[in-house]
Amino acid sequence: MTVDVLSSIKGAQPSETVNKLFEVIKNANLTNNNSFNNNHNNSVSLNNLREDVVIDSSKLEKQIIIENFPKEKNGYLVVSKVIEE
Amino acid sequence: MDSQILKIHQQLVDQELTCTTLVQSKLDALKQNTNNTVNALLDEKALALATKVDAKIANGETIGLLEGIPFGIKDVYMVQGTITTASSDLLKNYKSAYTATAIQKLLDAGAIPLVKENCDSFGHGSSSENTIFGAVKNAINPDLVGGGSSGGSAVNVAKDYTVFSIGGDTGGSIRQPAGYNNVYGLKPTYGRISRYGLMAYASSTDCVGPIAKSIEDIRIVLNAMSGQDVKDQTTYASAEIDKEAISTSEDIKTIGFFKNFIESEAIDAEVKADFLAAIEKIKAKGIEVKALDFFESNTLVSTYYTLAMAETASNLSRLDGTNYGNRIEAENLKETYSVTRSENFSEETKRRIVGGNQVLSQGFSDEIYLKGLGLRDQISENFEKDFKEVDIILSPVTPSTPPKIGDSLKDPLAMYLSDAYTVGFSLGQLPTLTVPQGTSTGLQITAAKNNDELVLKFANFLKDTI
Repeated sequence: MTVDVLSSIKGAQPSETVNKLFEVIKNANLTNNNSFNNNHNNSVSLNNLREDVVIDSSKLEKQIIIENFPKEKNGYLVVSKVIEE
Repeated sequence: MDSQILKIHQQLVDQELTCTTLVQSKLDALKQNTNNTVNALLDEKALALATKVDAKIANGETIGLLEGIPFGIKDVYMVQGTITTASSDLLKNYKSAYTATAIQKLLDAGAIPLVKENCDSFGHGSSSENTIFGAVKNAINPDLVGGGSSGGSAVNVAKDYTVFSIGGDTGGSIRQPAGYNNVYGLKPTYGRISRYGLMAYASSTDCVGPIAKSIEDIRIVLNAMSGQDVKDQTTYASAEIDKEAISTSEDIKTIGFFKNFIESEAIDAEVKADFLAAIEKIKAKGIEVKALDFFESNTLVSTYYTLAMAETASNLSRLDGTNYGNRIEAENLKETYSVTRSENFSEETKRRIVGGNQVLSQGFSDEIYLKGLGLRDQISENFEKDFKEVDIILSPVTPSTPPKIGDSLKDPLAMYLSDAYTVGFSLGQLPTLTVPQGTSTGLQITAAKNNDELVLKFANFLKDTI
């Protein structure tokens, strides 16, 4: 799939400037070639997981969400559809 | 400079100044300002809150330290009921449904929000020119850029339009504009302050932080915003930083600087000379200074931008005119997404989204994205090794002085490379403070992860040393 389709941006082309950055990465010298050997992650301890409960939004929050929604049809908010091709 | 928060607090308590007068004068100054720092004024809300503070004082009630202190908010933070544009066409009518945790904590402490501040769209830029509200002009010389992406916030603080402002820092977006406008700006350790309600740019390095005119104000605001938040599971619990604890620096024995930053051809001769002079003054105080090896600027900038673009491509995919944003109808759904995004994103934002999708796509991800992650791990390991040898790393904030308005948009590669000294500390998730001293764009003080206290301690030492 081309980048314009992937990005949903009409006529998008890879940029020369950005390609220069990628070239640096391609040519970089990686001493330890295991990117999953990551000791710096920010994992959450099981004790700190949040409670598995539904928290109802306030009336004002719900009203603003509806107000913001770009499209409404027959009283329903229209949400995005995944395009598979 | 002494703490502005303490000074105003005392004036309010002593009834030398009413909160309403204070807030009104700041609102007037913001309204009249010609530096393009304002996306929206929160005047009604601010004045209503100020009236409440005045009533409390008149009743003889005690007020908290931050109560009645006017502040600014970069226009990427949710504040319920206010328009949050991220300086973009796509969200120019978007109303926040809830309030960001960091901002809520300040509101709970009684601070008064005045303004949503101009910045680079979605944080995409180092000059605050990538905005639909006009380029932010530097506080010291209005022909130059205000820096970015939190340019409006830094200029507002420098001009005293706000007492402090809350910026966002992904690769230097608090520290660089702070340096360009001669104020303090802190990027805390990643996870110290909740990102909930901060519009995501690159989630693995996005940080919330304060910009202010004194170390004490940075400390007060940092303490108010810090803490674990179930709504951002990358946050951690941290102890409050005590005023006394940062007033002495006897435990700082050794500092380091990166040789290649200073030996680079890109560094301005004056910035280099000033930095080395600052190092000499520190040595004269009996502190050992070590020259450290580090990654080339090119590698740092490329690693940061590769990962940040991949993350922003993913984060901004929800902005399609159906879930969020200013929808532009076209002949079918696919066209509607595409036209909405093509027309509403700026050139710089599109460049980053396309770059991100490029590295995440099949055939590219291994040799670029995964390799970038590997490089990031190496950079982090390098920092861990360095902080076994030194307590603090000192660096210039930028290789050169702020560019003229218009120049960065013409040359994006030069703009990316101007972030060479800030992005490494973002990748390492380290606490880093810009102080308005040492070089014309300041100095950066960095400590090991979770050691924000040591950064402030060394800043106090520098204040008296250079």
